Amino acid sequence: MPATPLTRICYVEDDEDIQRIVRMSLERIGKFTVEVVGDPLKAIDAMAAFKPELVMLDWMMPGMDGPTLFRKMKEFEHTKGLPVVFITAKASSAEMNELIALGAAATISKPFSPKDLPDQLRRIWGELA
Amino acid sequence: MADFSASTTAELAAATRGASESVDPRKVLADRVDQLYSQLPLGIAGTIVVGTVASYELRQGRFQELVAGWGMLVFLITAARLGLYLGYRRSANHAANAQQWLRWLGIGALASGATWGIAAAIFFPSHADEQQVFLALILTGVLSGGIPMYAASWPMFAAYAGGIALPFTYVLATFGNRLFTEIALLVPAFYAVSVGIAWRLNQVFDAGYRLRHAYGRLTEDHTSLNRRLQQQLHELDEARRQVDASGRKLTLFAERSPIAVIEFDPDARIQQVNRATELLFGYTPSELVGLTAHKLILQKFHGEFDASWRRIMETREPLSGLKLRNPRRDGIAIVCEWTVTPLVSPGGEIVSVIAQGRDITQQLEAERLKKEFTSTLSHELRTPLTSIIGSLQLINSGVLGEPDKDVSELTMVAERNAQRLLDLINDILDIEKIESGKLSLVPEVLSLEELVRESLVLNRAFGERFKVRFEFPGGPAAARVNVDRKRILQVLTNLLSNAAKFSPEGGTVEVSMTVGGGRVRVGVHDRGPGIPESFRARIFSRFAQADSAFTRQKGGTGLGLAICKHMVEMMEGTIGFEDREGGGTTFWFEFPLDTPVAPAAAAPGAT
Repeated sequence: MPATPLTRICYVEDDEDIQRIVRMSLERIGKFTVEVVGDPLKAIDAMAAFKPELVMLDWMMPGMDGPTLFRKMKEFEHTKGLPVVFITAKASSAEMNELIALGAAATISKPFSPKDLPDQLRRIWGELA
Repeated sequence: MADFSASTTAELAAATRGASESVDPRKVLADRVDQLYSQLPLGIAGTIVVGTVASYELRQGRFQELVAGWGMLVFLITAARLGLYLGYRRSANHAANAQQWLRWLGIGALASGATWGIAAAIFFPSHADEQQVFLALILTGVLSGGIPMYAASWPMFAAYAGGIALPFTYVLATFGNRLFTEIALLVPAFYAVSVGIAWRLNQVFDAGYRLRHAYGRLTEDHTSLNRRLQQQLHELDEARRQVDASGRKLTLFAERSPIAVIEFDPDARIQQVNRATELLFGYTPSELVGLTAHKLILQKFHGEFDASWRRIMETREPLSGLKLRNPRRDGIAIVCEWTVTPLVSPGGEIVSVIAQGRDITQQLEAERLKKEFTSTLSHELRTPLTSIIGSLQLINSGVLGEPDKDVSELTMVAERNAQRLLDLINDILDIEKIESGKLSLVPEVLSLEELVRESLVLNRAFGERFKVRFEFPGGPAAARVNVDRKRILQVLTNLLSNAAKFSPEGGTVEVSMTVGGGRVRVGVHDRGPGIPESFRARIFSRFAQADSAFTRQKGGTGLGLAICKHMVEMMEGTIGFEDREGGGTTFWFEFPLDTPVAPAAAAPGAT
């Protein structure tokens, strides 16, 4: 997978302001193709349609939190192999380690730097073996 | 009380029984010697009178000189006895030396008896018949007069009378006269009878003295027993008053105590409750007394309570920190923390159990709120800040097109201050975690030099903002320490950003690394204004900043050094600062080396 450069990213996030910033960062600076999903309950379907190479998940969302969505993704053929990067305002290292244990590719803590975000994602993508 | 009086009676009986047997013989002897000496003046007076009369009657004839010599002897011995008497009277401690005094008195008695014996031996053969009768009369008189004198010591009387009777008998026996020979046979008989009487008297005296002493001891014992009885009664009375007083005090404590105090019997039945219990649970004492503790404990905690109770009953040890949910009369359950103390009698029986309970419902609620607040601070404040900082960064990065110069300046200010707000939130969260003991470290064995290099890369941009250059000539790469990577970078970032902020524009901040004494030290040396004297003591305290105007100008939360100190110390290191020669300050921290390294220094002109 990492043999090809990263192009398609799906981002599940309920906060519209952050959606906008991340989209701008990834599209303008990173030149990625981005699909932003505001409702986690529609995320699985959106991923089926969009076919992303990497998924970014928020932790705290109404309806379904990030870790639950991540577990749900593992139940579907078209989502279960996708690398997941959590982007969260939770700060404790214990919580971060919990996500890694769950199988997350990486965690990025909020506030993140939109300037550096594309590079961060490319680095993570590069490290996926 | 019953025990006490029984033991007193027993003691008294024992004292009575033992008294006559246990009289100290030394005391009896001292009494006898005292008796003997008290008779001495009478004896001396008698000797003087009889001696004078005898000398006068026997002086005629050829033996005038002999009589004078004898009179002189009597006088000398009498004087010696008088001296002995006076000596005894003056002696302060004659009871202790009774044996000695008795011996001296015995010698005196023997000498005194011998003078009369001499008189008999010399004067009886040489004088006329009527004077012989006179002499015999005198001799018999002084012999029998000795009985009361020496009654307290029959051997002494025997010596005294022997001194008289022996020469007299000899003279009578050898006189050649039949009547005298017959008398010579009677004198020893008379002597024997007299000694016998003296012996008998001696025994009577002895018994008398023993009795006297026994009685004295008995009286003494009785008095001391009485005194002790009195003393013990007094002590008992005092003890009772103290018990009363502490009982009242205890009641007062329990009554006025703001915490609930409940007395249980060993079957966990309520015996007594204090005022705070009534107020806390809303029951009157009469509604609770007699019921089991379950009345005041939620059903699902009954098992836990029963187990704790059994443990207390078995171990007889107090139990503290027992947290239970306790229903009030109105049905609302509160959380109380209980300390349960069994009262154990000297016989090992559990008399009652005292439970003290503190309502910690509000305390728990406060703790929960604090945790919630911290989490809110963490999440709810970070989310909007993510948007603010993100937006400003995108604008300032220029990807959306170059903004107007004034706009750009303002968005820079906004981004910087948003970043500052984020730093403050992070610092407060760190302090909160440190102080509540929730900061967890992930220690790894790392090369400190690599960490320093990494921190210099991370902070280069910050230095550039203040037009300050960081300089690090390198250090021993082999110096490895056991630290949390993220936290050590945080400490380094703090020290570097402080140094950059306080350095003059265009200045250099030098970073050094030295190894020695099994430790490795990193120093950050600036050429700033130095630390004001008044600020030195509290530089590592929370919200410590020397100059608040400066903070507004250059940023900083005032928490950084406090966090650094905590973190360094949590990683078993030390942190400190010192003035730098030629102006400026050095902040340093050091850690024990994980593996020893050869000492090497790489300090750029620093202390």
